[in-house]
Amino acid sequence: MAKTYDYLFKLLLIGDSGVGKTCILFRFSEDAFNTTFISTIGIDFKIRTIELDNKKIKLQIWDTAGQERFRTITTAYYRGAMGIMLVYDITQEKSFENIKNWIRNIEENASADVEKMLLGNKCELNDKRQVSKERGEQLAIEYGIKFMETSAKASINVEEAFLTLASDIKAKTEKRMEANNPPKGGHQLKLTESRPKDSWLSRCSLL
Amino acid sequence: MDFQNRNNTANKFVCPSDRQLALRAKLKAGWSSSKTSEPLRPEEQEAIISVIRRNEEIEIAERQRVGRLVERVEKIKQHAVERGPNCCRLCGDAFGLLRPHRIICEDCRQAVCTKCSVDINIRYHTSERTREIWLCRICSETREMWKKSGAWFFKGLPKYDMPRSASATPTPTVTTGPGPGSIAGDMRAVQSCHGTPTRAGRVKKLTIRVNDSSSSSSNGSASGHSEPEDELDGAAMGGKMRPLGKLQREDSFRLRAYGSIRNFIDGGERKLSQSFFFGRQQSQHQQQQQHRNSECMDYDNISVSNASTVAQLRRESSFLRRGSISSSWSISDSSGSGNSATQSQSQSQSQSQSQAQAMTGHSQQHCRDPLLGWLEISISYRESFHSLDCTMVRARDLPAMDSAGLADPYCMLNIITPEAHAKYTRWQRTKTVHKTRNPEFNETLQFVGVEPEELGNSLLYVALFDDDKYGHDFLGAAKVCLSTVHSTSQYRISVPLGAEDQYSNVAEMSQNWPNGKMLLSLCYNTKRRALVVDVKQCINLMAMDSNGSSDPFVKLQLKPDAHKNKKHKTSVKWRTLNPIYNEEFYFEASPHDLNKEMLILTVWDKDLGKSNDFLGSLQLGAQSKGERLQQWLDCIRLPDHFHEKWHCLAADNPTH
Repeated sequence: MAKTYDYLFKLLLIGDSGVGKTCILFRFSEDAFNTTFISTIGIDFKIRTIELDNKKIKLQIWDTAGQERFRTITTAYYRGAMGIMLVYDITQEKSFENIKNWIRNIEENASADVEKMLLGNKCELNDKRQVSKERGEQLAIEYGIKFMETSAKASINVEEAFLTLASDIKAKTEKRMEANNPPKGGHQLKLTESRPKDSWLSRCSLL
Repeated sequence: MDFQNRNNTANKFVCPSDRQLALRAKLKAGWSSSKTSEPLRPEEQEAIISVIRRNEEIEIAERQRVGRLVERVEKIKQHAVERGPNCCRLCGDAFGLLRPHRIICEDCRQAVCTKCSVDINIRYHTSERTREIWLCRICSETREMWKKSGAWFFKGLPKYDMPRSASATPTPTVTTGPGPGSIAGDMRAVQSCHGTPTRAGRVKKLTIRVNDSSSSSSNGSASGHSEPEDELDGAAMGGKMRPLGKLQREDSFRLRAYGSIRNFIDGGERKLSQSFFFGRQQSQHQQQQQHRNSECMDYDNISVSNASTVAQLRRESSFLRRGSISSSWSISDSSGSGNSATQSQSQSQSQSQSQAQAMTGHSQQHCRDPLLGWLEISISYRESFHSLDCTMVRARDLPAMDSAGLADPYCMLNIITPEAHAKYTRWQRTKTVHKTRNPEFNETLQFVGVEPEELGNSLLYVALFDDDKYGHDFLGAAKVCLSTVHSTSQYRISVPLGAEDQYSNVAEMSQNWPNGKMLLSLCYNTKRRALVVDVKQCINLMAMDSNGSSDPFVKLQLKPDAHKNKKHKTSVKWRTLNPIYNEEFYFEASPHDLNKEMLILTVWDKDLGKSNDFLGSLQLGAQSKGERLQQWLDCIRLPDHFHEKWHCLAADNPTH
């Protein structure tokens, strides 16, 4: 009998080649680290079941190859992903600049309401840093997504990043359900239309 | 690998720059469809295939999990008593002072007792405050199902397999009684009935053989050359009807690497696609071939030969499976028991099968996508004219598209160049053969200007669509490698049809819809017992006014209307060809009524001082086909959820 779970979330790791996507995933799934660089061939995935609010959530995390020659394969997996981790290397300026291209790639291929998150990896290499934390934060704000600096090697923030992304998706689930079933069952559009008026009126009465 | 050395010019291992992207955009090759010179090496293919196989296992487990969720809801629905407003909807207890307390479910607005309902806290959209609401068990389970299956994200239930243990009845949904689920169930039952005679009546044996001469097949990688064989065994069981669920034929599902990989890699890596099904008719070496067949299955370790249940499941779920992103496996299908040649084969199969089952376990049995049918093509090349004649002979066992279990198929053809582009901008199209799942096309289409050297690395691409006024639904696609065509006069091949891919999308796009498209969301609201129609937006409408624009609005009506609903109209959006409405309308109707009624939408250009111009129309109902039928049935089957889809608008006005 397979392990039971309540939700299956499909996550995806993207970013330039060599930023440490596979290491992040390896740290998260096996809590281990490997210094030798083995370029990912096309795609790979790992499974880990976590628990949030007493719900078992099975995370299927897709690790993609950053190399462009696998792009045809990797983009095929964008559509099914509920959450996407954008990873750059803080010691590689170029990988940070490319984030906006990856975002564009997501917009082209992933479904519109996919949850995104930005990770600056290799943050233990502070002396080789090329991208400041502030710039990372700034970019994340620009795209309205969450940001974290992680280190797969020193095991910093990896666990937290995945848990954050998973709980964000779960929160979205709940929200969507309520939106799908409007509480009054009435005119959904009218509700949204009249809302600003309501808030204005209520504010008025408070004053 | 010099990924560290990023200062090299045009490092192709990283994301391209803006400039490169802009250039590619001009070339109409997106970032993702960039061409790379390096094809995948065999070991890479193998690695990817192994990942895909692992994923397939997960997907099966997931499909079964979703199936269990669906079944759970269906079971609760089945057990609902529904005695009337004064009794609990679920347990049938009457309400009263000393009796259970009466609660109105938030979603379905029906009365239930406290025992049969749950209260949940809902957070308001605007504030942090929460509010308690009561839901009956059916609605709370439906909500759970929607959440847990991921349907909330994909805006519709993902594909699922109903648990097999529950199949004293062939389809669990059929037994739901007069509930909303029964309509869809009946529909499938109809479909199954239509499926049976054609399957039983088929006297062909279709097997795929692995060609040993191909070096790559020895490592079991994606580039195994396969030759479909197509021979007639007249001794097989003719057109005899057999009861559903007792097919004696053995379906052997052989999971072949190319089946899955072609979805993902074909675009960029033509090496794989080149090795696609190809062969000529040959009836000798049959025994030999069967041995090889079994050998190769041993190797693959995941061949499973299985009886009717799988075929049945396949038919059941064919409606739901369309358009999935998952990989499709190719299936070798041998029919005709009682035939001596086949017996030896089935023996060898059963050997390999037992091995395979031991290795892969029970769950692998579902490891396939529905077979989308077969296409028989005959190709000849005339070197003197540089022309390629492709004769679409016939297709078999295409997916059903309407409620009667029939389709109106036609083919779209093009040649795919080594650069993974369609060679001709205009796709060749056969005539439509109406009301059949086994069309006899017998139509020859000619491609002119095909150089002999081109044949070596090009593909013939055939996409089958269902012809309908309101959109052409994808039926299946086939690719044929042209590398050996020029050497002989004529090739006749049977090719299994595969799932949608980038080319079929291109083919679909190439068919122009001058009247534009509409995004429509449907929901059956059980509280108000009404169909909610949300007209979201339209795109590419026709320009009717002299300013090159239109002032579109949409008229809605239900026909024939049992409840005498009034007709509705959206607001007019001035001077636009891509209006966004997001307007909801209610049509009172029972789920049963909806099975007979038709929703008619017409788009008009508002003109002041003269009559409005007609822009396009759309009809939705149980008589619709393909995706429109699916949306309609989903809407009835899973009430209280919005089901959203794009539809094409037709040029004729149904209200006239």
